[in-house]
Amino acid sequence: MFMLPAFTPVANASEAAAPAAAAPAAAEAAAPAAAAEAAPAAAAVVYPPAPKLTEADYPTIKGVNARVAVWLVAQLHLWFGAFVVAVPMFVFIIESIGMMTRDERYDNMAYEFIKVSITAYSLTAILGGLLSFSLVLFYPDLFKYLALIFKESMFAYALLFFAESAVLYIYYYGWHWLQGGNKKWVHLTFGLLLNAVGVLLMFLANAWTTFMMSPAAVDAAGVFNGNTWEAIHNFLWNPINIHRVVANVAYGGSIVGAYAAFKFLSARNNEERAHYDWVGYNANFIAIAALLPLPFAGYYLTAEMYAYSQQMGITLMGGVFAWIFIIQAVLIGALFLSANYYLWCGMGRSEGAYRYNPRIKYIAIVLVAAFLVWFTPHTLVLTNSELKSLGGPYHAYLGVFGIMPAKNTAVNFLLTFTFMSFMFYRRANKVATVSWATTGNAAQIALFTVGLINIVILGVYYGYFTNTVYKVAASIPQVLTTLIIIIVSTVIDTFMYKGAKDVAPLHWGRMSTRSQYALFLLAVSFTWLMGLMGYVRSGIRQHWHVSNIFRDASPDAYTPGLGYAANIVSIGTIIFMAMVIFVFWLSTISGKHVVAKGYWKEQA
Amino acid sequence: MTQKRRIPRLLQMVLIILGVYFSFILLFDVVLGQLIPKSLLTMYMLFVVAGVVMVFTFTEEGAQELVGPIKALVEDPSKKTVRNVVFVIVPLLAGYYTYSSMMPSFEAPMELRTIHPAPPTKFKAYGKSFNLATLENPYRKFQKEDPAKFSELVKAGGDVYIQNCQYCHGDKLDGKGPYASGLNPTPLNFQDVGTIAQLQESFLFWRIATGGPGLPAEAAPWISSMPVWQDFLTEDEIWKVILFLYDYTGRAPRSWAHE
Amino acid sequence: MINFLKVSFFSLLMVGGFWGFSNFGIPQIKPAPPPVEEKLDLGAMTMDQFIALGGKIYNGKGTCTLCHNAMGRAPMLDKIGTVAPERMKDARYKGTAKSVEEYLHESLVKPSAFVVSGFGKSGTNDTESPMPDVTGGGIGLNEAELAAVIAYLQDSGGAEVTVAIPAMEAPGAEAPAAAEAAPLKTPEEVIAKFTCGACHKIAGQEGALGPDLTKIGKTKNKEYLRQALLDPEAVIAKGFTGGMMPPTYGEQMKAKELEMLVNYLAGLK
Repeated sequence: MFMLPAFTPVANASEAAAPAAAAPAAAEAAAPAAAAEAAPAAAAVVYPPAPKLTEADYPTIKGVNARVAVWLVAQLHLWFGAFVVAVPMFVFIIESIGMMTRDERYDNMAYEFIKVSITAYSLTAILGGLLSFSLVLFYPDLFKYLALIFKESMFAYALLFFAESAVLYIYYYGWHWLQGGNKKWVHLTFGLLLNAVGVLLMFLANAWTTFMMSPAAVDAAGVFNGNTWEAIHNFLWNPINIHRVVANVAYGGSIVGAYAAFKFLSARNNEERAHYDWVGYNANFIAIAALLPLPFAGYYLTAEMYAYSQQMGITLMGGVFAWIFIIQAVLIGALFLSANYYLWCGMGRSEGAYRYNPRIKYIAIVLVAAFLVWFTPHTLVLTNSELKSLGGPYHAYLGVFGIMPAKNTAVNFLLTFTFMSFMFYRRANKVATVSWATTGNAAQIALFTVGLINIVILGVYYGYFTNTVYKVAASIPQVLTTLIIIIVSTVIDTFMYKGAKDVAPLHWGRMSTRSQYALFLLAVSFTWLMGLMGYVRSGIRQHWHVSNIFRDASPDAYTPGLGYAANIVSIGTIIFMAMVIFVFWLSTISGKHVVAKGYWKEQA
Repeated sequence: MTQKRRIPRLLQMVLIILGVYFSFILLFDVVLGQLIPKSLLTMYMLFVVAGVVMVFTFTEEGAQELVGPIKALVEDPSKKTVRNVVFVIVPLLAGYYTYSSMMPSFEAPMELRTIHPAPPTKFKAYGKSFNLATLENPYRKFQKEDPAKFSELVKAGGDVYIQNCQYCHGDKLDGKGPYASGLNPTPLNFQDVGTIAQLQESFLFWRIATGGPGLPAEAAPWISSMPVWQDFLTEDEIWKVILFLYDYTGRAPRSWAHE
Repeated sequence: MINFLKVSFFSLLMVGGFWGFSNFGIPQIKPAPPPVEEKLDLGAMTMDQFIALGGKIYNGKGTCTLCHNAMGRAPMLDKIGTVAPERMKDARYKGTAKSVEEYLHESLVKPSAFVVSGFGKSGTNDTESPMPDVTGGGIGLNEAELAAVIAYLQDSGGAEVTVAIPAMEAPGAEAPAAAEAAPLKTPEEVIAKFTCGACHKIAGQEGALGPDLTKIGKTKNKEYLRQALLDPEAVIAKGFTGGMMPPTYGEQMKAKELEMLVNYLAGLK
């Protein structure tokens, strides 16, 4: 029994003058009250289903294509977001390395990285604001629907941004204040906190995105059941989270690498060259280290998409988007080849590395061969005469390379040999002095040989002679083999080269100009690749705002073709590069002091 | 070291690239008898060239040696004749290439076929609608529960296949039936690891029941002579013939459940 | 500066390379346009869409689920396809239907043609159904909507869908939205719109699921009536069970409509 006090007296007092205003107030107040105090079963708030829109529901601004605007802004936000989430991760690690080794160079480099990215934070936030503005402006009903489901997490997101900024500013501005002893530990803790908040922010935003792909906690009509956690923890949330964290680190590394490369090219003296060569080397190392597990995260994500919906999976891999993976293969090929090339060039820093030079060509052969297998499409583009000659669209030999097991095997080879490049680089200038060096070497060779044979057997036997369950499952032991090779080999190497003596002095800064362009290629390819994959991730929803629940009724509901997407991605990449150059430029002018003599009046 | 080398590095590089190019052609077109598509070969060569250039230039000396002859060609006064010849030939070659690639030909435009078109989520057949995400072969369960019954069903599916499908798809399920040569594209080869083994049974049911006309409009034009089998076969018969396809080829349908 | 230009040129060249490959190096597939949107134009509707429309009406405008729900006020219809033929053979059947489709149509417009045992109006010994004629009064489905509901019931009730999509203009799924703009003018209109008569005896309608309202003003004051409308569960009249009346009228009715209805009800003496 709950008569609302606010409305009873009004109703009593005004008999004739119908309290038109009081009734809605009462009605409004009554609903939540009823919800709160009624039996628990009926306690749930009733959510509306996903709206069915028409073209008229989408506001337009003359001369602005709503989709392209949202697309570009979202992509730019993502690029910057990825960069600023990633930088603190490796800054934290580099700072810790500096603390362990008490090598101040690391501390300086970490500070430089955070310094160049500091302006990128505000750009990320500005772009994020612009993105939500564009969404509210161009897709108000979609935003309203998402806000209904994610209202708590959106609010938390906004608040977390304060925390992020606060921690970041303390971390950055307090860098030289919190130095030495316990203060350094405090500083490092802030670094950890910064990362935690940054990653949490990204996970929240990922939840909204993945909800649109694999909606959860809603029924077929889009009625929300009130369980926010279920909506956040939807089917593709974790796969995307993993994929993005790993990719962000690699991406951040590549951008910082481009920064170092540019500083290297425009360096005026040898100290500067040496410093930025070293910074570039470390950035490339970060990029490669994160690039190694990235294909696996990608395969996991794709497998989960297939598991979520066969339709989504086939749309992705076999339908309209089939060719995108050929472009992706080219881009990833560019990434791996340029990263390797940079390592090979880096061997020129010391005379001691020459003895390894003849081996590089074998690595190159394996890399290119593995890459060709990876690149071979499932559906070949054939001219009619070729079609006739082959007797059908199936190629008896190349067809074998078209499917997943071949590509999994190829990618594991690619990774193992990229790691081998890195090993060669590491030991190029050193001679092991431990007594068991020969045994250690033999063990490593055996490890690589057995591992590679295992990868081939797994790929060929399980890939082609068993059913698909094992086919997919076989990629896991393949990955494990690669990881074991990498880890065990690193461990052996660490012990074997402890106290090793240098063959010749290492000349930081003795690096060709070509190699620096390899770093640029890395950054450009990575940016472009992210843009492309962002298109496909969003595109597989096809004409849905929220897959199979909330339909896109705007004139732009159609899925754009690859060429069109490539145009947008290219434009986005160029805008992003321009903005990044601006950010980097800002970081350089902040250190410049001009003494303007005779400008200020003399103080007595 | 470099004094001993007889072939200049630039020539070496060109020879290696040409060698790889012709080995591809030799390997596929002659030895294996299945030609390598031109579009693929172009991309292959692009990466081979990239790889070779990388190997030849990663050291400073290597790069110098490679660029040296080219620099000399442009700058060295004693190489005037060669320079003039090269400067005439290169534009001519470029012109010829542009001409031949732009010249209209009588060849029909290329066809793009996706081997596995994306299925709809739901489709209609036999007057009801099927949800592809949840659709399962009702007989698949007998494979474990009642192998005797299962082999009977497979046999029945085999009869359906021989009476209806083998004319095109062949009695060995290899896509080489008596009528196959009259069709372009050729009927699907079920023995190929890239076909039914990659798919769930519901996908096959969709393709069989709705045939060529049931294909989605994307990646058009679709050219499939597959009849709309729901007009000729019952639902049961289609499910049985699917059992047969997998049984005969020794493949298992794609599934996500681990056994 | 020269380095900057060089680097920019190199980067643009690379972007151009990727762009060129995506545009000219691979075949361009034009994705299919999105499938035609569910239209209320019946001519362009597929049977699936028509059935879905029926479902929407069944759960929404038709107010069917008020009673045909798990609370047991009216029989469930999930097996109607199989039980309908039996009912037509039943001795108590008073209708003329020959097929499931005709039976469904009949029970929608003449609910008393067959009353399932135990679901009749109290005291009529299952000869009279408490269900209103869905084409009249507060529900007011038109023929097209009726056909859609029948299609939905056949589809969900395990029968073959035999209804043909009528070749006429759209049912008014949009209409209520337009009507909401202006408040209703008379209490009768309010009663009709919110289908009070489906459950209550009021304004010439003979609903029997809820209390008789023809003389409600005699015993109840305005405060009670207003509360009963806004929060039906607050007080349950003797002899009736709770949870039947939708608790959403407070949100659906306009203030003016609510007051008008309360005044009207209070005046029934």
